[in-house]
Amino acid sequence: MSEEPPIERDTSGRFVKPEGQTAAVEEDDAMHPMAKLLFGWVEAKSTPGILLGAVLLLALGLIAADLLVDRHEYIEFANATGFFGFWGFGAFALAVISGWPLGRLLRRSEDYYGEGDDTPKVHPSEDDA
Amino acid sequence: MGILSTLNPGFVLVALGILTIAMPVRRVRQILTIAAPVLGIFMLSLADHEVNLATANALGIDLILYRVDSLNFIFGLAFLIAALLNAIYALHSDDRLQDGMALAYAGAAVSAAFAGDLMTLFVFWEITAVSSVFLILRAGTKAAYYASMRYLAIQILSGVLLLDGIAYVYKATNSLTIEAFTSLNDPGAMFILLAIGIKAAFPFMHNWLQDSYPKATVVGAVVLSAFTTKLAVLTCARLFPGFDILIWIGAVMTIFPVFFAVIENDLRKVLAYSLNNQVGFMICAIGVADLTTKYGQLAMNGAAAHAFAHIIYKALLFMSMGAVLYRTGTAKASELGGLYKSMPFTTVFCLIGAASISAFPLFSGFVAKSMTMSAVAHEGLIVVWLMLLFASAGVLEHSGIKIPYFAFFGHDSGKRVKEAPFNMLLAMGLAALICIAIGLPSFAGLGYGWLYDLMPYPDVANDYQPFTLSHILTQLQLLVLAILAFMLLKRFGLYPPEKPGTVLDFDWTYRKLGFGFAKWAGTVWAKTGPAMSHVAGSLGQAGFKRLENAFSPQGQLSRGGLTGGMAIWAAALLAAVMLLSFLSMN
Repeated sequence: MSEEPPIERDTSGRFVKPEGQTAAVEEDDAMHPMAKLLFGWVEAKSTPGILLGAVLLLALGLIAADLLVDRHEYIEFANATGFFGFWGFGAFALAVISGWPLGRLLRRSEDYYGEGDDTPKVHPSEDDA
Repeated sequence: MGILSTLNPGFVLVALGILTIAMPVRRVRQILTIAAPVLGIFMLSLADHEVNLATANALGIDLILYRVDSLNFIFGLAFLIAALLNAIYALHSDDRLQDGMALAYAGAAVSAAFAGDLMTLFVFWEITAVSSVFLILRAGTKAAYYASMRYLAIQILSGVLLLDGIAYVYKATNSLTIEAFTSLNDPGAMFILLAIGIKAAFPFMHNWLQDSYPKATVVGAVVLSAFTTKLAVLTCARLFPGFDILIWIGAVMTIFPVFFAVIENDLRKVLAYSLNNQVGFMICAIGVADLTTKYGQLAMNGAAAHAFAHIIYKALLFMSMGAVLYRTGTAKASELGGLYKSMPFTTVFCLIGAASISAFPLFSGFVAKSMTMSAVAHEGLIVVWLMLLFASAGVLEHSGIKIPYFAFFGHDSGKRVKEAPFNMLLAMGLAALICIAIGLPSFAGLGYGWLYDLMPYPDVANDYQPFTLSHILTQLQLLVLAILAFMLLKRFGLYPPEKPGTVLDFDWTYRKLGFGFAKWAGTVWAKTGPAMSHVAGSLGQAGFKRLENAFSPQGQLSRGGLTGGMAIWAAALLAAVMLLSFLSMN
């Protein structure tokens, strides 16, 4: 017979989590094995924070690198340090932020033109090859 | 090899496309759809350049059925590669009409690309319209039916304008050989530019694209994305290089779809807007392409390289969204998310397409788009250059981030589906391979060097170095800080949520306003028509009665006097006529 590890309780009789034990993670049985391999890291709660930090550092690094690289753009003001980065940031933010008023102005109901659902039917004869 | 080197490969595709429609055996059909573009590529490899390889005469007009030059070669090759990828992508389906029409459509585009005269171009221009409409119709929805009818009407209008332009050109020059125009003063040039404008989806003529492509079948949207607009780009490049007006049309085309794509929920429609934006880069490059200068030639190389790369990565993106639609039954961002868990290979291929269109270094967009940007900057077109730079960040937003993020990552929709069928994965894998292969640094005839060698001006292309430290740094700055903007906007809840709905665009003017006016006019006529007919009838009857009372044998004028009033009046009129004649003779 194998020895069962002792169940630890505190003074009031409640179960205590043994040291090193983590909460059980709900397994996604339908997850593709390759998805776990390629994108398993996406699942971690810390991933968004780490990604943001990494991108921020990379952005700062690229702007710092601009100080070291001697660029000769045809358009004079594009030689300013970090010009492309700031333009990219501003353009992206402008495009996205404009989505708020534009959405209110231009979005209507799904069947606005009265032509029914526009999602194509997958053809009945379509099968896996 | 004789006939293979002198027969337009597009003709073979059209003929085999028609044969495919009639072929009931699925396996034979599959072999035909794959063998046709392979044979086409082989035939193209045998063709001599700058020679009229096949000619004909119809109604006294000299036709050049097959002529390969350095510009149409790269487009034709891209069309044939796209036709092959499309055929592989469609292998899971058993749809005779779709298979055949897709092949005939590709063949028509190839035939038009290699046409050496405007009349041959016109014929295949129209065949592309007629064959492609079935790819929308086969979706089988009411919305697809209406969209396909609008699509057909607009495409035929483009053909009519082209024919009108051709008539003017023939009248003025007595020749239909495809040659670049020198000005827009000739009405023929104007009509042809309008025809191209419709097909290339210039601003305010663009809505047929966003209306029809997202409503097409899974395979249909992939096929459609490759040919029509790029055929228009090629025709524009052949006929209107260096026309300043195209610079601004192209620049506007790159900008406005960005804003629509941000608020669009249907991811295939987002790709349709993205297509508009990409074609804008090519049109702008053609506008800059004064072919007498080195930078004009660089711009033309930019348009050609961009078209080649774009045909492949746009097909890849449409394929990935098609696979999502095929498996989940929807392509709407609000209903998707978390699909990387069940479709990891599709996710990877989509990410490669996204990186390519966003022009990340080592992907195809980077080596293609940069030539256009350099040419525009060199010409000192500061505002246009800034617009294109804005659009580059916009591309990253809608195709680089929005498509993969909302379909495969983001909020988990809980959908757990099968991975895409093997044939779809194979087609996506091959497209992804091309995206990477032509984006790599040049080595041993491979990498971007392979693409640059096929450019209309290979010497100018090979002088251009995309992989300079300065270019890599500035492009990475643009992209990485734009990604940072995305992350911050998401984190602070400033990114607009994906909501279901219809986003109004310029097509509102004819789908709602124009249709509403026509409907109102019909209602008004239905109500007032009978009353107006009654009034007109009464007036007519009363007038006739009065005339009858006056002039009939029993009328007022026939009564009284020696010979009757009618005779006197007739004599008076005759006298007046004779007097007038006498006076005018003198």
